[in-house]
Formats: sequence, C-alpha cells, structure tokens
Amino acid sequence: MALFPVQGIVEGDFVVVLVPVDDTDPMTVVAEKIAYHGIGKRVAPQDRPLKVRWNGTVLADDSTIAGLGCAPMDVLEVLYA
Amino acid sequence: MPRLPRADWYDLTRDMNWDFSYVTEEDVFPELLSNGFGVPKQDWWTWDEPYKITYAEYVHNQAGKDAGLFTVNNVVGRSKIFENLEPGWMAATLAHYGAIAVGEYQAGIGEARMARFGRAASWRNMATYGCLDETRHGQLQTYFPYQALNKEPRLDWAHKAYHTNEWGMIAARHLFDDMFTANDAVSMAIQLTFTFETGFTNLQFLGMAADAMKVGDIDFGALISSIQTDEARHAQQGEPTLKILVAAGKKDVAQNLFDRMFWRAWKVFALLTGLSMDYYTPLEHRTHSFKEFMEEFINTQFIDQFRDFGLEAPWYWDQLLNEMNWVHHAYHLGVYYWRPTVWWNPVAGTLPEERAWLEEKYPGWNDSFGKYWDVMGENVRAGHPELTLPETFPVVCNSCQIPLCTPAGYAAGYLSSPLPLLLDLDGRRYTFCSEPCKWVFEQAPGQFKGHLSIIDRFLGGVIQPPTIPGALAYMGLSPEECGQDGTNYAWAHASVPVAGGVGR
Ligand SMILES: [Fe+2]
Ligand SMILES: [Fe+2]
Repeated sequence: MALFPVQGIVEGDFVVVLVPVDDTDPMTVVAEKIAYHGIGKRVAPQDRPLKVRWNGTVLADDSTIAGLGCAPMDVLEVLYA
Repeated sequence: MPRLPRADWYDLTRDMNWDFSYVTEEDVFPELLSNGFGVPKQDWWTWDEPYKITYAEYVHNQAGKDAGLFTVNNVVGRSKIFENLEPGWMAATLAHYGAIAVGEYQAGIGEARMARFGRAASWRNMATYGCLDETRHGQLQTYFPYQALNKEPRLDWAHKAYHTNEWGMIAARHLFDDMFTANDAVSMAIQLTFTFETGFTNLQFLGMAADAMKVGDIDFGALISSIQTDEARHAQQGEPTLKILVAAGKKDVAQNLFDRMFWRAWKVFALLTGLSMDYYTPLEHRTHSFKEFMEEFINTQFIDQFRDFGLEAPWYWDQLLNEMNWVHHAYHLGVYYWRPTVWWNPVAGTLPEERAWLEEKYPGWNDSFGKYWDVMGENVRAGHPELTLPETFPVVCNSCQIPLCTPAGYAAGYLSSPLPLLLDLDGRRYTFCSEPCKWVFEQAPGQFKGHLSIIDRFLGGVIQPPTIPGALAYMGLSPEECGQDGTNYAWAHASVPVAGGVGR
C-alpha cells in the first residue's frame, strides 16, 4: 500500500490532472479516482463501465499499478468501455 | 536642448568604442553575459539604431509623457470610473498588473545588462534609455494600482504577485528569467527586444490601450499607451543586432534564438491576452478575436518583417496555427475552474450572446468547448457550484509551466492524441504540453532541468500540507484573495443548455 501519483486524463476532458492513487488499487478503483475529477464536473457522465488505458493498452479490471510496474507520473487514460 | 543640430555631434559622442589594452575582450564581455557568437568586434561597431535620441531629448520627452499621464490619473482618481468598470475588464486589468508590473522592473535588469554588455557603444546607449524606460514602467504600473487600493485591495498583486509562488507567476518568472535575467546581452536583444517586444508586447499594448479607451478605462488606456511609446523605441535594439548576426553568417544562431523565444512568448500570450481578448473584454467592445489578432498582426506583419532579414517562420509553424484554434479556450476553462488559484475574479464569458460570438469566431466552439460549460452550468443551476471548483491540480508543462491541455486539443479534433510528452532525464521525469515546449527544453537542458514546477514541488513535499488549502497558502493566496466567479454565475443562469440533461 503506497500512495502513487499519476497523470490522469478523462476521455473528452480538457486537461491532465494529478491524481494520487494507491499502487494496490485495482483498475476499477483507479478509474473511479481519476474520473472523479472530470466526470460530472466538466464531462457529462455516461451509463457505461470505465476502463483504464496505459501506454496504449486497455488494462484488465483487476490489474494494479504495482503489478504492472507503472512509474510515478505515468499517464493513465480513463475511457468508457 | 543642445544648440548644435543633433546630426552634427550625435555620431561622434555616441560611438565611444575602443580597443582594450589592460584587459582582454573576453574579460570585458564574458560569454555568459554577452555571447558574441564569434562575430568580429569591428562588425559589432557598425551597430546602428533606427531611432536616434539624445539624453536631453529623452528626459524632455519622458517628463512630458509623465506630466500628461499623471494629469489623467489625478482626474480619474476623483471620478467614479473605476467603480463602474465591467467585471470582465476588472479581471483583465488585475491579471495584467500582477503579471506585468514587477516584470517590467525585471526587464530593467535586462536592459541594464545590455547597457553594460552590449557589444557596441551605440547599443549600450540605447539600452541605457531602455533601462530607464523599464524602471518607469515598473514604477507606473505599481503606482497606478496603488492609487486604487481602497477600491480593490487585490490591486496590491501588482507588487505582490512576483514575490509569490502563485502558479502563473512561476510561469512568468520561468519565462522572464530565461529571456533576460539568466540571458546574455546578445541573445537578449534577439529574444527580448526583437521577438518578445517587437513581436508581441508592442502590438498587445497598442491593442489593450485601444480596448481600454473603448471600455472607458481612461486611466489604464493612458498608462498603457504611454508605456507603448517607450517600448516602440527600445524594442528597436533587436533589429540592428539581428542584422549584424545575419551579415556575419550567423543566421542559424538568430533563427534558433528566435524560434525558442517565439514559442515561449506564444504560450504566455495565449494565457494572458487570449483570455483577455476572447472572454474578459466586454463583448460590445471587442474588435477582433484573439485568433484574428494573431493572424493579422503577429503571423503576417511580424513574420513578414522577420523574413525580410532572410530568416524563416519557425519549424513548428503548423503547430502554432493549430494551437491558435483551441489552446486559449482550454486555458480559459482551466483558469476559471481553478479560479481560487488566481488573484482576480475570472468571468466565464459564456452568456448566450458571448457563446454565439465564440461560435462565429471559432466555428465548432459550442461542440468542442461549449459542452464543458454546459456541464458546469447545469451543476450551478442544480445548486452545486462546488462542482465547478477543483479538488486536485492540473499537471503543468515543465517548459511553459502552464497546465497540460493536450486533451482539449484532442477532444476538439486538433490533435491526434490527448497524451502529453514525457522525458526521463538524469533520474527525473519531465512532462511537456507540446513538441515545441519539449524542444525548447532540449535546446538548453542545463538552463531548465533544475527547475521545479508547481507540481514537482507539490509531489516533492515542498508544499505543506499537500492539500488545496496548503497549496493556496503556498501560492500566497489567503481566502479573501482567491479568485471567485466574476459575475456570481450570471452566465449559468442565463444560458440555455445546448444538449439535454447532464451533471450528477
Ligand atoms: Fe516595458
Ligand atoms: Fe508547454
């Protein structure tokens, strides 16, 4: 369990945000933590599950930052599946 | 005034160049303070300013300018003009004073460096006036707001801003340190006086003075146009320097210095002037959009002037034209959303008629940028203005220090990817908003790599506690000073959502 800063981009949003996540969070939680700063605030919500993309690959819901070996301040994109 | 005609003595008294015998040329002009780029000494001595002035004439002219200006200031100070200025215009002037006033004083340091380390006596003479000019601009632009402190206490940011770690000021200092405080005299003549002043501020001040008069801000208009007359003169140090570099076969040096600073100037211009022209200036007083202004004055007139010297438009020209469509719209949204982090009250500038103007000037604006304002407006109308306020920070670019808005360019269809650019160097990760910003950094990594952006400071534990209130305190913003919606959400209540239900 360690706090881990990432650069988050919510699909359709206008800006890259700083989001502290936990390196053991599953991607479903990471997606929510990033989406929190954009969806419903500047981006209209949709009734679809969220996914996380890293280095061009959409990640499995149960994968974690620690398991994947992400570096601090890597860019994670949150998209609607 | 001297009795002899100026032409009879000017050149003789001005050209006091001599050969050194007790010291070396390198000792007098160390590269760090005056990079001669290998141009022979005698070539520098041909430096000839297009605008000639003597010290007596200078003092006479400046005294006249100040007399006129203080008369206006005196009269306006006793009127109700200030109280009746529109909120958008107030936002523009408060932002201007904070971002510019002490920077002018700092430009005086730059001019003083050219007054000592410029490579010809004629140049050092011009720079001496430039130093006096910039000192004047620093003093005027702190004195005028000081006069109105009883009406708007945050006008003290004219003096305070530069001494804080407010994010926009970190960006301004990063730019100005690169341009003059940490620059050598020769590069500065190209980057400060030619690229920045001739290219950007001279035109911006002309435009802003005209806008101020239309808005009825006579005080500010008189101030800005008085400053512009000085600027038009001392900005002319760039051209002769450029000519000498080109004639000596150093075209590539000049082009590189220009390209680096033109991009940097563009970024800060988009932030300050972009918002001011397209969102803060009251609609009825707008003469052109920011994009039109860029196209007409900077991209056409200025670049034509640049081409006359045998130089080319910068390599990133297409990217500049691309950003002109969207980047300042994103910056405006960012400044509005993160309004507690600025010392002025941003207006949204998105009333229905303002949106129609934006759509006309930037076809597609409603679909690309209007949609964010739709969501925010819906939240305000639903009684949740707190949803239009930040709970984290945007990541900023390690070059321009402005938030990374690549996702906006992508969402609006102008970029092929929303991703910022990364660079891992000496164990540190740097992030950039654009290819040219990364390129600027890579041209002189030694100049930039030690700098910590506001986000680096946040993550590095410099900002304590690492929370929004902790960061605001770090930025020098007390709760009373933090920006608020400039029109108390009038825009949200007046606007009709384009799309259907949004919000939470
Ligand atoms: Fe100035
Ligand atoms: Fe940048």
